[in-house]
Amino acid sequence: MTLVEETPLAAQPATAPDVRDVGVPAPRARWFTALRHGRGLAGALLVGVVLLAGLAAPLLAKYPPLEQIPGANLVPPDAAHWLGTDEVNRDVLSRVLFGIRADLLVLVTAVPLGALVGALAGLLSSLSAATDVVAQRVFDLLLAFPVLILGIALAAVVGPGLTTVGLVITLAEIPVFGRLLRGAALRVREMPYVEAATVVGAGRWWVLRRHVLPNAVEPAGVQLAVSLSVAVFVEGAMSFIGIGIRPPDPSLGSIIADSVSKLDANPAMALGPLAVVVALVLGFLLVAQALAAGRRVAG
Amino acid sequence: MLRYIASRLPSALVVLVAASILIFSLLRLVPGDPATTLAGPDASPEALAAIRASLGLDEPVWLQYVHWLGALVTGDLGRSYLIGGRITDLVLAGLVNTVVLAVAAMLLAVLFALVVGVGAVLSRSRTVDALVTGANTAALALPPFVTGVLLVLVFAVVWPVLPAGGVPPAGFAARPDITVQYLLLPAVCLALPVAAAITRFLVESLRTELAQPYVLTARALGIPRRRIVLRQALPAALPSMVTALGIQVGTVLGGAVLVEAIFTWPGLGQLVEQGISRRDYPVVQVLLLLSVAVFVLVQLLTDVAHAALDPRIRIGGSL
Repeated sequence: MTLVEETPLAAQPATAPDVRDVGVPAPRARWFTALRHGRGLAGALLVGVVLLAGLAAPLLAKYPPLEQIPGANLVPPDAAHWLGTDEVNRDVLSRVLFGIRADLLVLVTAVPLGALVGALAGLLSSLSAATDVVAQRVFDLLLAFPVLILGIALAAVVGPGLTTVGLVITLAEIPVFGRLLRGAALRVREMPYVEAATVVGAGRWWVLRRHVLPNAVEPAGVQLAVSLSVAVFVEGAMSFIGIGIRPPDPSLGSIIADSVSKLDANPAMALGPLAVVVALVLGFLLVAQALAAGRRVAG
Repeated sequence: MLRYIASRLPSALVVLVAASILIFSLLRLVPGDPATTLAGPDASPEALAAIRASLGLDEPVWLQYVHWLGALVTGDLGRSYLIGGRITDLVLAGLVNTVVLAVAAMLLAVLFALVVGVGAVLSRSRTVDALVTGANTAALALPPFVTGVLLVLVFAVVWPVLPAGGVPPAGFAARPDITVQYLLLPAVCLALPVAAAITRFLVESLRTELAQPYVLTARALGIPRRRIVLRQALPAALPSMVTALGIQVGTVLGGAVLVEAIFTWPGLGQLVEQGISRRDYPVVQVLLLLSVAVFVLVQLLTDVAHAALDPRIRIGGSL
């Protein structure tokens, strides 16, 4: 394979449809444009505000998330406790702020890891028919478990916890990105310019790096935004049914679960974390829509 | 048609068998021995061995798998270690509640999609379109534990008109009016994301149909738009809606677990939650396999239904 890269062909980028040459802005520039107005801006703001609040939780929270405040049992929102307190006298706002951090951790680790492993599996398996069949069946198998059911299965085996949540999200993303990249590889392979490149001696690796990857970057970006939104949902759902982050550690899902039976006394205990979950899930989805729309306009 | 079904069966079977092996072996890897749990901490080695033999745990693992699968196929799901009783009874009790909930939600979703989707296409107003798109995105994005809690807060706490959870005490058939009251909130909660997804699908495929040449011909002949949408475009768009509905079965399976937790609905979702928290692995095992089987089966049925409705797929598939 390295032989191919040293041929003069590798030095001629003209075989690749370089978008910059035909006057369309590069993907990165297009993404920034998509995020600067309308849905994209709204989504970016929603996500940005929540993530910043999570990052700054130690500065913003007035109480430690686990501190039990004497005499403040299920009080409704007031000046001291903006979202009131819960059934064991903890400040709900502080717990929500620290709960965002669990999501943050999952978003920056589990989702990129799943995307990377899935993308590699999709790309590499597309190189030979045998690995392709195996990879396809593995993806089928993973997809046969709806993500929450997968969560239940893994929680049963390795026990509940943040690691389990991360593992579930990573496993759920692998087939999604695997199929995306495999599809891109198969589509690009049929293109005349790839045929031309193969005729003049380009190897499979070269085609993969020079033609498949650039074509897959944009759909993968859109999918990444969708996957981040799904990850927030999965963390919340797993913690909600008690197979995610374990109490007393704060998590958006478990605060919501605890609040269901306390809606009479302190509805803000539900509304606070609900608003945060909605902002994150909807924010990422709006970003995904804006990126996809920007792609269509440019294409 | 038969050839099409025959061509789709092997891969479905492979997934199902692989999933059953995976589920079986995963739950064997769990730390802790059920015999020790059952016998208690001070049991004698003889008692332990007796329990292991009675549970079949002294056999080689592959034989245990074969026995387990054989028993499953004949309808004997085994015994629960900790919840107690035969798993078949536990599953049947939960199954009725879950099926009632899921069917109600699916019906609501289809009804909603038909009314809103066809309405949005018929109206041609930009405001209606923007409203439907916005509401759709929200309904699609909001997790059931968000909409569920909001529904309880609005309709059971702030404005207490509906029960906050549970199933009708006298059974579903006894008093239909009471049943509707109990069913409404959880079914709406489960139906929302499904309804949003298939509405979007229906609107897209209706618009695709309306761009076809036959629609142009029909309009040139003076047939009213409304009639074209309802009589021509809608029947042509329905097959793809079946597929969209089939894809949603995963959402419904996962959503049912959440919805049952919010509305204390004693179905299979509650049973699996109980199974995990009490480490009753035989129950969890059966329910996981059941969920995968339902998922694979519904996908297969969807493909077959789609092929039956759309000859192009069937012919392409049998090549």
